[in-house]
Amino acid sequence: MVEHNAKSIEGKRTIAASASKSVKTTRYSLWNFWICATALKVLLFPGYYSTDFDVHRNWLAITNKLPMGKWYLEATSQWTLDYPPFFAYFEWFLSQFVPKAVAEDGCLDIVEVGNFGFPTIIFQRTTVILSEVVLYVALQVFINTSDISEKSANFVMASSIVLSPGLLIVDHIHFQYNGFLFGILISSIVAAKNRRYLLCATFFSVALCFKHIFLYLAPAYFVFLLRAYVLDFSSFKFKSYKDLISIVQWPNLFKLAAVVIGIFSVAFLPFISTWPQLLQRLFPFSRGLTHAYWAPNFWAVYSFADKVLTVLVLKLPYLRKILSIVLTSMPKTAADIRFEIDSNNSGTRGLVQDVFFVVLPQITPKLTFLLTLFYQILAVIPVLFDPSFKRFVGSLTLCGYLSFLFGWHVHEKAIMLVIIPFSFLVPFDRRLLTPFTLLASAGYVSLFPLLYESQDFLLKFLYTFIWCILYFYAMGQTSKVNRSGIRRVFFFDRLAICYYLLLVPMVLAVQSLDVLKHKYVALEKYEFLGLMIYSMYCSIGVLSSWIGLSWLYNFDEPMWN
Amino acid sequence: MVAKKKLSSKNSGKKPSGNTPVIVQASSPVEATKKVEPVEAFFASPLYDFVTPFRPVGNQWCAKYVIVIFALIIRCAVGLGGYSGLSTPPMYGDFEAQRHWMEITQHLPIRFWYWYDLQYWGLDYPPLTAYHSYVLGKLGAFFRREWFDLETSRGYESLDLKSYMRFTVILSESLLYIPAVIYFTKWVGKHRSQSPIGQYIAAAAILFQPALILVDHGHFQYNCIMLGMTVYALNNFLDGFYAMGAICFVLSLCFKQMSLYYSPIIFAYLLSKSIYSPGFNLPRLFAISVATVLAFIGCLGPIYIFGGYKNLAQMSYRIFPFARGIFEDKVANFWCVSNIFIKYKNLFTPQDLQLYSLLATVVGCLPSFVITFLYPKKHLLPYALAACSMSFFLFSFQVHEKTILLPLLPITLLYTSRDWNVLSLVCWINNVALFTLWPLLRKDGLALQYGVLFVLSNWLIGNFSFVTPRFLPKFLTPGPSISHIDDDYRRDILLPKSIIWRIVIVGSYLGMGLIHFLDYYVPPSLKYPDLWTIANCSLGFSCFMIFWIWNNYKLFEMRNKTLHDL
Repeated sequence: MVEHNAKSIEGKRTIAASASKSVKTTRYSLWNFWICATALKVLLFPGYYSTDFDVHRNWLAITNKLPMGKWYLEATSQWTLDYPPFFAYFEWFLSQFVPKAVAEDGCLDIVEVGNFGFPTIIFQRTTVILSEVVLYVALQVFINTSDISEKSANFVMASSIVLSPGLLIVDHIHFQYNGFLFGILISSIVAAKNRRYLLCATFFSVALCFKHIFLYLAPAYFVFLLRAYVLDFSSFKFKSYKDLISIVQWPNLFKLAAVVIGIFSVAFLPFISTWPQLLQRLFPFSRGLTHAYWAPNFWAVYSFADKVLTVLVLKLPYLRKILSIVLTSMPKTAADIRFEIDSNNSGTRGLVQDVFFVVLPQITPKLTFLLTLFYQILAVIPVLFDPSFKRFVGSLTLCGYLSFLFGWHVHEKAIMLVIIPFSFLVPFDRRLLTPFTLLASAGYVSLFPLLYESQDFLLKFLYTFIWCILYFYAMGQTSKVNRSGIRRVFFFDRLAICYYLLLVPMVLAVQSLDVLKHKYVALEKYEFLGLMIYSMYCSIGVLSSWIGLSWLYNFDEPMWN
Repeated sequence: MVAKKKLSSKNSGKKPSGNTPVIVQASSPVEATKKVEPVEAFFASPLYDFVTPFRPVGNQWCAKYVIVIFALIIRCAVGLGGYSGLSTPPMYGDFEAQRHWMEITQHLPIRFWYWYDLQYWGLDYPPLTAYHSYVLGKLGAFFRREWFDLETSRGYESLDLKSYMRFTVILSESLLYIPAVIYFTKWVGKHRSQSPIGQYIAAAAILFQPALILVDHGHFQYNCIMLGMTVYALNNFLDGFYAMGAICFVLSLCFKQMSLYYSPIIFAYLLSKSIYSPGFNLPRLFAISVATVLAFIGCLGPIYIFGGYKNLAQMSYRIFPFARGIFEDKVANFWCVSNIFIKYKNLFTPQDLQLYSLLATVVGCLPSFVITFLYPKKHLLPYALAACSMSFFLFSFQVHEKTILLPLLPITLLYTSRDWNVLSLVCWINNVALFTLWPLLRKDGLALQYGVLFVLSNWLIGNFSFVTPRFLPKFLTPGPSISHIDDDYRRDILLPKSIIWRIVIVGSYLGMGLIHFLDYYVPPSLKYPDLWTIANCSLGFSCFMIFWIWNNYKLFEMRNKTLHDL
């Protein structure tokens, strides 16, 4: 058929095609994505970078110039080393490759404020791109080891992570090494999927020694490894309490303990002499509840509610009376309230300071900690009963959520800790897509204020926009449709679509507010308004996606079969 | 960049999608299994790979937007780099020129536009540029007055201004050039029964042409408007709307006089269509003439009304700077390169040179003119425009290195072709043109962007697919992501089949590499400080010359063929 067209084909191509096997396979390789993404990332070199760039440069200098004992003591610059030791080793490793021209540029000087030029930028940005290869390798292994029936869905998911606007914004513009660090975390998730539990524990411990924010995910790992690797209920019959000993697989327990303790001692033993200092650097509780820009979490809503109530209470005396019955800590008279406001002038504008609530009760670190822990325990209990990979990733995602929603001094960047585990969950069921779309769109958009310069606006906006469109659509086509899908509440799906479509006008409106503030001086007073809109609107998305996932996680039976 | 996604594994079967895609049967009589393979110009290239998920009919609608948005993202990213004249007082560069025009057009009445302080970036483009500057200047001044204050804003530099200016280029391009190119590729694809996917790949290949991105979004100019209007004119000719096409072309001409390089062909084509082929068509001739005259009146009218004849004369004097030398800086054309041996400036008066260059140009574009007149066929238009504008580039007076964008436009439109030889030469000449822009881009601090876009554009169309490493461990599986391409299939580098061409092209690539190497490591002697730049121009010129000769031959050869053979 269509013989006449055959003439026009390249002879060579025909030969090549006929010579090869007749069965065509799709390789699902991330190779092409890597090259394209790298080209884009190199083009971002001359663009904006945040103070995190100088932070990492300073760490390069500290680890290169000082003996190990002084790494966590050095404080010439305000950007002291506050990541765990593996990251310090990593910086030391990188600093061995600093070329002479870059060192002369000021890359390795321990100074108060870094004084460097383009060579340093090229060097450090290149290290980010190269170290990110870990992420690609981990995900490629994940694709290759997955079952043929789920390959396409897993490929979509994997490519959504490597092309994630979050990594682009945070790593390649703002400047951090999240791609590399999440690469290690993902390696451990992949190992868990392949039932290589020891490997899973190894990777997770390593990740933990690179960046301690992963501690938030530790409950899920702990329970999962305990249940899946250490405990064995298959032949358990209760006759006496001695039988409890036999459910523990002692060899496994010892192997696991050896691995974990080994890794931690490699990381922390060399620093044992500066131990208190190290701990203080890693866990600085002196910071406030919320960051300067409220990350879109529960406390953002709480702070916003406090602001609104303060205004309302001042205007409406009746409300004040009613509220003061419920909230006993609240100041009783209008004069008191005004005094409180004046003495604790506003929590959002300063850099890092304590947040003070006028009407609502104050929040202490202990409270946030207990709240997080409580919900995390709820999230890991199902893993105790059913240590499947699906459950594990679900609890991991929820642990991420809880640390983000209720944690103390949460950065907006921490949203990646939720989005990435969630990505692994989406291929299992189409219904998970609704909470995922809410989370990913709100989460990525909430990163926009990190790049406040006008030159990045179009870039971040277009990239996030096209990522959302492509991947929400692609995931919808590839994720499994379980029969219980009929029970989907369509109303919520539509609402979610409305939500993330409305993000576009929201972003544009805030941007025009920003552009017009030079024109209308009056608008300058409302500079924080843009940030508040961002954080409010995004917290609605993140909170509702958490509720959606929690519902499916705890109460949807067919999904977990 | 990167358009990707396994949109649906389920329905992306091997069945042809859309309107009759080209299907071919790999003839291997031994095998019982029949292999059906779509013939795509860029089969197995990364672009093909990325666009594959959009093959199912249900997904086709978004391919266009995905390609456009990724093209825009790359443009934004290039825009982060430097621009012409960044922090180089007192004259700065093209960026300041454009900003200055936005400043003077909004503060001065029209009658002063072409007279005001000509020493400092006096307006020297036709009125449409001025109107365009006026509108964008007003808009910018709405946001920040100080960007465009008369006199005091000279040399104004700030990040916000840069972002705004970059944004205006992106806006202009996405309104004019990009839709025009997409329409063109779709038209050609449709009339040649190319699969929709093939059309999108061609569009993407054209939109990722590095030279235009670097000059417009890096160096800073608005060539995309002139080129976009020209493509619109072309689209109208394809659809048979001759008067409309004439108007578009006049608009292009009134934006930058450089599109005069195309005018002989447009003139020949329209004339031939009206009086000769297929016969004398008075209404058409009338419509075209009236449309052209009206478009000119519309563009030039305000200049005349508000400044009288004198203003008009001053405008043309500014636009056609015959007072300047036969070439400026170093450019890969005949005059500059032969100037190494023959010092024209000592031998001839400028008037003589003007005459000679005019003669050379006329002789150069005559073949394409005659063929277009005798065979006014749609598929010949890109070839003819390329040949004609290339002869202008090579032989005319006062040519800038950036002017290569004009011949490059019709050449790049030939990415819609299906002929391996044509594609190879298009790709080659694009690389050569990018290479000749190197001295300019280096001066603007765009070396990084130059390198990245060279690699990216070639890699996307599959020129580097042959180097896809085979030594990497199996779990890394380099190669196409989504498309069904056999494991051991490697796309060839874009090289023509003839061995002579191969030698020429590979030789020129080696030459480029050598010149870059020397440029970087060997400082030129004091006597010839421009040695490597001249080497660059000479190599560029020889390649352009060879291409131009081939182009004319191809034009001749194609005269009796049809669109299907494009």
